[in-house]
Formats: sequence, structure tokens, C-alpha cells
Amino acid sequence: MNFSDLIDVEAGTLSREAFSSEEIYRRELERVFMPAWNFVGHTSQLARAGDFFQSRCGTESVIVTRGEGSAIQVLLNSCRHRGMPVCRYDTGNTSGFVCSYHGWSYGLDGALTGVPKFKERYQGRLDRPRWGLIRARVAVFYGSIWATFDDAAPPLEDYLGADMQFYLRSLLQGPDGADDGYEVIGGIVKWQVPCNWKFGAENFAGDHYHGYSHISVERLSVGLSGKTSRHNFAAVKTPRQAMSVADPKRGHTIRASVYQALGAYDPQEGAPDAVNDYYRACHEERQRRLGDKARLMIHGGVIFPNTHFNSAGRTTIGLWLPLSAARTEIWRWLFVPKNAPAIVKDTLREYYLRYAGPGGMVEQDDMENWTAAQRGTQSLVARKYPFNYQLAMGLARRSRPDEWLGNEVTITEDVAEHNQRAFYAHWARLIAAP
Amino acid sequence: MTLVDRTDALATLLLQAEVERFFSAEAELLDERRFDQWLDLLHEDIRYWMPIARNASFDRPELEYTREKSEASWFDEGKDTLRKRVAQLQSGDHWAEEPRSRTTHLVANVRIATTDGADITAKSRFVVCAYRLEHDLDLFIGKRVDVLRREHNALKVLRRAIYLDQSVLLSRNLTTFF
Repeated sequence: MNFSDLIDVEAGTLSREAFSSEEIYRRELERVFMPAWNFVGHTSQLARAGDFFQSRCGTESVIVTRGEGSAIQVLLNSCRHRGMPVCRYDTGNTSGFVCSYHGWSYGLDGALTGVPKFKERYQGRLDRPRWGLIRARVAVFYGSIWATFDDAAPPLEDYLGADMQFYLRSLLQGPDGADDGYEVIGGIVKWQVPCNWKFGAENFAGDHYHGYSHISVERLSVGLSGKTSRHNFAAVKTPRQAMSVADPKRGHTIRASVYQALGAYDPQEGAPDAVNDYYRACHEERQRRLGDKARLMIHGGVIFPNTHFNSAGRTTIGLWLPLSAARTEIWRWLFVPKNAPAIVKDTLREYYLRYAGPGGMVEQDDMENWTAAQRGTQSLVARKYPFNYQLAMGLARRSRPDEWLGNEVTITEDVAEHNQRAFYAHWARLIAAP
Repeated sequence: MTLVDRTDALATLLLQAEVERFFSAEAELLDERRFDQWLDLLHEDIRYWMPIARNASFDRPELEYTREKSEASWFDEGKDTLRKRVAQLQSGDHWAEEPRSRTTHLVANVRIATTDGADITAKSRFVVCAYRLEHDLDLFIGKRVDVLRREHNALKVLRRAIYLDQSVLLSRNLTTFF
């Protein structure tokens, strides 16, 4: 296969092979996933020393732990002796991990702490410090935990770039604009979809175009209050400009809006007074804290390649975890503002559950469509015809007049496949590199 | 056996039969897509809850299922949201169910756990098969705990806890009711 022919950037087309070829899938794991920084979880999941949860770093099974003090480790969940997962629990609290096969044991920092017959049969000569669990590089960014197994990867800050640091920091700010303002609702939602992971990635990266997918739910009121349409920002009267924001050098993408002016809080009709009171106070506090930048509203996006998020009053972060070219496992963390009263957290949780995931009245139609699109990449004839990514091509601009939107990003206003083009151009560079 | 014992035994059998008949009729309404009539079987204050199963260590059994009304779940909602789900199923452009899946709901091992005034707690097992389009099969197996309330001499589902045995959901969607 000629990997440099998959994409035609000038024409705005991409080969369907990108979604169906197992050869490309294996190449992706090496070239796209291995060098990446991956979201693996959130510090609020590790409130106490000894807390741990299982996660994925790319496609690797990892354990995220908090030891004594507050040191967070991301450990490859594989015994150094015979490769068994040393942790088979989704979450818990422990002083360490013991392999169920031969009983090698490890501390929360991954150090090999116990080896049966160490003195008698290894003659005390096993170099234990060399045989601890493999540790990923870890970075904590405003509460979010990131990891990579690539020693050559740049620091997370450089991997994100200054612009995506700004957007990711903004995503993680509470509704009042305070940094690291969220906590995870217990339980990570995990499910499988028979489609290539990139159908999810490109949808979250920048698909403002797929309103037709959701016409059935638009007639119902599934928004925060359960009395209004699915997007909370529908209540906001101040005019705003929707836009696609992409970092072409790194492949990161953001869906966002910028309001024309700072406006007053528009209540979510039908929501309990306590909920509107909370969000009104947050809205005002956020404007005080952030000033003009409070005009930004993030809808969602993708940190390249597979960390995805939704925002705009519905903060979830997730992973597309490829199992094969044609099957993906999705993990989703649901967030609520740390300092919110219980009624706000309850209202949000119910909103997430009727919106997102396999039980979500919005996302169900996405999953159905991605599954159907996957079928369109499999057969011999269909595979010959590339996908079209030409929507609003040639309209990209730099971030001016709002310079705080970033120096390296490019932006296309209104509905566009700007972000998909940037995502795939970067993806194709990594796949085609010698 | 005294007459009183026989009367109790008969009442128990009649209640068992009534609850089983109720569940069978409910399953039939779902499989025949008579969703409006299905909604009528649900109490206005119903709590419909399907937690997410987690792999937990033997000494932390409380972690095995996510908690109601505080953690993530597959479903954790009342009748208002269930009505919306029905409306979406009946719209003809809810693509995840257009064309519609063919479902079969089996409810088995029904056991009356407790009765308390107007409320009956029944435990059961379910198998739900959903065949979709040409090749897709979703299979959902698990346990249910229902609280049925008798009102105006009819049973209504006041609370339904659905414990799916899967941890990672192996299906793309949950577009059926349990």
C-alpha cells in the first residue's frame, strides 16, 4: 500500500482505506498512538492515598494510582514476569498489586516489592529495581491526567502547543471560570461500536454539519432542564459566531463559539431556581475573572489523536480506543462542577445520561450512523471512491481580530470541515512518514 | 395444613401468577411496540435505573454497581424522560431505531421478595434479544428488581432496578426498554 496516496489535501479527499485497512490500523498504533500524550483520567478520581483506577494509554492497559503524598503514577498493567495484568479491578483502594500467577507484587509506584523465593531460588540476585512495572511519563494539566510511553515525545505543554493549552485550560475551568473546576462522577461509561475510531474522532473534532442526524431529538426537550432543546446555549440571546479551530501542526481541533459581547445570564427555562441561581452566579463570576475572554464558549473537540470532549454546559471527556480497523471501544468520563450544590450535580447527571453514550437520545443516532458509514468502507468497489471533505474549503483564516484565540491555530467560521481536514492532514503525515 | 395456611398459600400463588402475568403482558407490549400502553404500566413517580457494572474486589462488593442518583449509569431517570424516549422511538427519524429493531423480551425466575402494603417487590431475570437490520444482534442478560404498586386495583411499576451483567457494553446502543 502506498501510504502517501491516502489523502489529497488540495482536493479535500481521503481514501476509505483509512477506515477499513488492518494494515493502516497497525501502522496507526505505532505512528499515531504511540507518540501521543493520552488523557487517562482526572485527579478527582484519586482523592485518597491508595486510590487507583484502570485506564488506557493509547491501547495499553494502565493503572492510574496515587501513592503516599500525592504522587500520581500511570503503570503498565502487565507483570514483568509473565505479562499478567496485575490489576483486574476497575477501581478501588490498595497498598499495592499482586500478580495472580506467580505472586510478584508491586507498590503503588510500580516498584517490585515482593518476589516469592527471592532468597532461596533467585539467590537474592534478582535486580528488583530493574523489574518494576513499566511507568509511563505523567503530566497533570489543571486536574486532567495525561500519559505517554514514548520517551521521545515532547513535554505535554509542547505536545498541546500554547493555543490548545488555552482551550484545554478553558474546558477544565468550572462554569465560574476557576481553574480545575470539575470533578468526575463515579463510574466511567464504556461501550463498543463496530466502526473505525476515526468516525468518532472526526465527528467530535468539528462536525457542525450533522444536524440531520439528530432531527428526532431536536423535537424533544432533552436539554439541562428537560424543558428546552438539547443545547443549553440555545437559551443565550447574545449573537455568537460558531467556528472550527484547528492547530494544523499538531492535529488538535476545537469546536467553539465566540459571543459578540459579554451578555447577561439567560436562564435555562424550566430548570429549578437553585440551578439557575447557581449558573447565574457562575456566569457573572466567570466574566469578572476572564474579562473579554469570557465570550468564548467551547462546544467540544479532540486532542490528537483520540482524546475527545464535549462542553458548552455538558462537560465530558472520552477516549476512542481502537480494537481493530472496524471496532472501537469508547470510554467517557462525566464531569460536574466541584463546588456546585447537589441539585446542580443531579440535574447535570440526568442531562448527560439522556444525551450521551449508548443510552443517550442524541448520541445513539451518531453511533448508528458511524456503524453504517463503516460498512461503506469495506467492499472492493466502494473502497475505490474517496470520502469528501470539501465543505467550506478555502475559507480558513488566522485568529484575528480576537488575538487571544491563538497564534498558531487557523479558524473557519460557521459550518465547515476545516477541523476534519486539519485532523486528517496531520494523521496522514504520521502514517506516510518513512 | 389448616384452613388459614391454605388461604395464605392460595393468596401467594395468586399474587405470583398476577405478577408473572403482568411482566409477560408488559414484555408483549414492548415487543409489539405498543409503547404508549407500556407507559401506562409505569407509575407517574417511577424510578428507572440501570447501573453500570464494575469489576470489584471481593472485599469491596459495594463497588460492583455504580450508585443510583450519584454516579454514572446506563439509565437513571423518571417517567418524563421515558416518555421522551417513547416519542423518539415513534418518530420515524430516530436512526438508531429506523428501521426498527425486532426485540424479544423474556422475563424469568420471577420471585416475590416482599410485600408491604400496596407495594410488591419482585426479583426476576431477563433476556432481551434485539435483532437489527440484516446482521446485528444485541443480547442483554441480567437481573431485575421491581417494586410494583397496586393502585385502583391495577399494578404499576414504581421502581425498576436493572442489573445488566455486562461491564463494558458490547452493543453500540441501548434503544430498547428493560
